[in-house]
Amino acid sequence: MKMLVDFQWKLGMAVSSDSCRSLKYPYVAVLLKVADHSGQVKNKSFEMTIPQFQNFYRQFKEIAAVIETV
Amino acid sequence: MAGELEGSKALSGLLSGLAQEAFHGHQGITEELLRSQLYPEVSLEEFRPFLAKMRGILKSIASADMDFNQLEAFLTAQTKKQGGITSDQAAVISKFWKSHKTKIRESLMNQSRWDSGLRGLSWRVDGKSQSRHSPQIHTPVAIMELEIGKSGQH
Repeated sequence: MKMLVDFQWKLGMAVSSDSCRSLKYPYVAVLLKVADHSGQVKNKSFEMTIPQFQNFYRQFKEIAAVIETV
Repeated sequence: MAGELEGSKALSGLLSGLAQEAFHGHQGITEELLRSQLYPEVSLEEFRPFLAKMRGILKSIASADMDFNQLEAFLTAQTKKQGGITSDQAAVISKFWKSHKTKIRESLMNQSRWDSGLRGLSWRVDGKSQSRHSPQIHTPVAIMELEIGKSGQH
């Protein structure tokens, strides 16, 4: 089991790419820093579309609500 | 252009096949497959440039993510060009883009995502926790499992 030690995010907008000149695609990129029991920190990064991010955010809201009741 | 190529019925099917190959990553849609299925009366020599033209038009439209005004202007220009398209063909292409635009755009967005995506998320809240590394007990802890993997792959 690892511990979350840092959570970084960025909201990006992909403007253009080799396959689509007019992309206009917003996304959320997340960088998680997790530490194992020895203290060694590893980075995990991933990208989400806006709908995916909204679901991600909803899950955290649920967790926060549950943790309040415990 | 042979009469068969000017017809619009098969063009709709052709555009679908081209979209599958160019945007949705479908392997195995060859020139010969499209020709034999949709334009069997046309020779490969004649079919090839026609296919290239249609592929070019579809890619231009998708690349610019054309709205309907841009689309009309673009297609009208294509009908006026030497060796361009007929107005019937323009109508078929227009109809095709209007109904497939969203799906094609989604595929193009997926193609430009190279970082890992979030494929799954599950969580649990533990009421009391104690560990030999943490002095805190009676502290609720949220444990999350994130499945991080290559996007666009299921």
